[in-house]
Amino acid sequence: MKALRGFLTQTPLALWTAVAVVPFLLIATLGFRDNTGIFANPLGLGGDFLPENFATAWNGPVGSSGLQGMLLNSLSAFVVALILNLGLGSLGAFFGSRLPGRAKHVYLSFFVLGTVVPAVLLLVPLYRTFNSLNALNSPWALGVVYGLMTLPTTVIVLHGFFTAFPEEVIEAAKVDGLGEFAIFLRIVVPLSLGALTTAGLLLAVWVWSETQIGIVLLQNADSQTAAVGILGFKGRFTAQLGPLFAGLTIIAIPVIALFLGFHRTITKGIALGGVSK
Amino acid sequence: MTTSTATRKSRVAWIAATPALLGLLAVFVYPVLDGVRISLSHWSGVGPLDWAGLDNYTALLDDADFRHSILITVAYSAGVSIGVVALACALAAPISRGVRGSGFYRVVWFLPSVVPTAAAGLFWSTAFQPGYGAVNSVLGFLGFGDQHAWLVTPETAIPVIIVVAIWANLGFAFLIVLGAMEQVPISVYEAAGIDGAGPIRQFFSMTLPNIRPVLILTLMLEAIWTANDFSVVWAMTNGGPGSSTATLPVLIYKEAFSFTDYGTAGAMAVLSGAVLLLLGLVGLRLSRGKEQ
Repeated sequence: MKALRGFLTQTPLALWTAVAVVPFLLIATLGFRDNTGIFANPLGLGGDFLPENFATAWNGPVGSSGLQGMLLNSLSAFVVALILNLGLGSLGAFFGSRLPGRAKHVYLSFFVLGTVVPAVLLLVPLYRTFNSLNALNSPWALGVVYGLMTLPTTVIVLHGFFTAFPEEVIEAAKVDGLGEFAIFLRIVVPLSLGALTTAGLLLAVWVWSETQIGIVLLQNADSQTAAVGILGFKGRFTAQLGPLFAGLTIIAIPVIALFLGFHRTITKGIALGGVSK
Repeated sequence: MTTSTATRKSRVAWIAATPALLGLLAVFVYPVLDGVRISLSHWSGVGPLDWAGLDNYTALLDDADFRHSILITVAYSAGVSIGVVALACALAAPISRGVRGSGFYRVVWFLPSVVPTAAAGLFWSTAFQPGYGAVNSVLGFLGFGDQHAWLVTPETAIPVIIVVAIWANLGFAFLIVLGAMEQVPISVYEAAGIDGAGPIRQFFSMTLPNIRPVLILTLMLEAIWTANDFSVVWAMTNGGPGSSTATLPVLIYKEAFSFTDYGTAGAMAVLSGAVLLLLGLVGLRLSRGKEQ
């Protein structure tokens, strides 16, 4: 009876696990096949073994950029976004919570409001601004937008952490003669690395996935991040499915590795910041 | 503390807190205002804006694509948000009671939500192709035929896109619903256990009513996010055939960047953005009510 009940519970859970995981196994397997193999065996269970698909995806079709360049572009956008986001976000979250009286609540509420501004409202205006600043097709400039757009999430996540920061530690530093800013840099930041890591990981996952703004601000294939550039792969590799799947595998690996390594931190951060993708 | 150190302290706080606020101004406030201005102009992507008054808005009244897109967006948003929350409830219930393997399921079920949605959409768009698509292949194996061209007619494409978006977006709702279920006091269930209520009855008569506020909020957030979603639809169908699967974000993108009619795109964005912003504000209101 107990065994039957366990079986009845586990079966749907195992089924959903298959639905969640099998696509990844399939993508990775089909990455090693060519069209003949895929058409004959759509589930990847037979056909030639072609690791060179990964080299094709990495280097791109002749005459255009492959994933190698796109990963670098994603990384550029992420580094700029990370510096801006954590820099301004931690200053804002810490000193915002030290503003006098009602000001601190009003300050935080601006960031809460920021979470509900829909991206559709921003696309055309951002394009117009970037166009007039000659900043289109620059992953660095896109990184600036990414870093600022994610400030609401970062400030909300860090604010929760900083309000719980022990006031005695700050008072003790004051007695030692440290100024407000020095306290922040030399006491608060080193003791907040966990919270900053959470915010940074959320940002990494978000930047890695972002397409809607990237596709507008990065029009040249050479300038595109991985999430944007992979969409172009579909057209450029229509004749060859293998390299497309190889490309999808390469894009999935870093973020899955990051998640498996830090899943507790990431899921906690998502629950705190109320973010989806 | 003397008055002068107090003022100094708050002056430092103001100076250090201002840059983040300016950041919000640069990427949210200024673009929204500029977006309203663009929606009141004709603009083809180069040169200055050409004032158009309400022309772009009045033109939208007769725009069949726009009207169709509103319907598609509502269907997409409702389908995905309801699907995601319902599935999250079904999956979180056994996990919250700590069935065997809970730790494993928690991690593995989140994987579809960490990969880029564009990549997930691309994979599924191949999986639904006739002949070589994995989904069709499985259907063929089960005797249902493997030549279904799911994505060429909107009647089948839209449900398929909804299913894929549910697959790709389940993670967040699952986390939140699971968190809420784990906070339902154990005493509620103990009382029920004595009464002899089975796990399924407990789920419907105790768990769900207890977490209702969280469910409503999650449903709302998912509906807003899905209505804003660009990548799944774009990766799967590019909004086609024609504009038949173009949700508002996709239609706005095409209007601006394929047809270079930025004024029309701007008016569509302002109208749909205003509705989403309002829904978002209602959602914030609800979530604040939850905290108190």
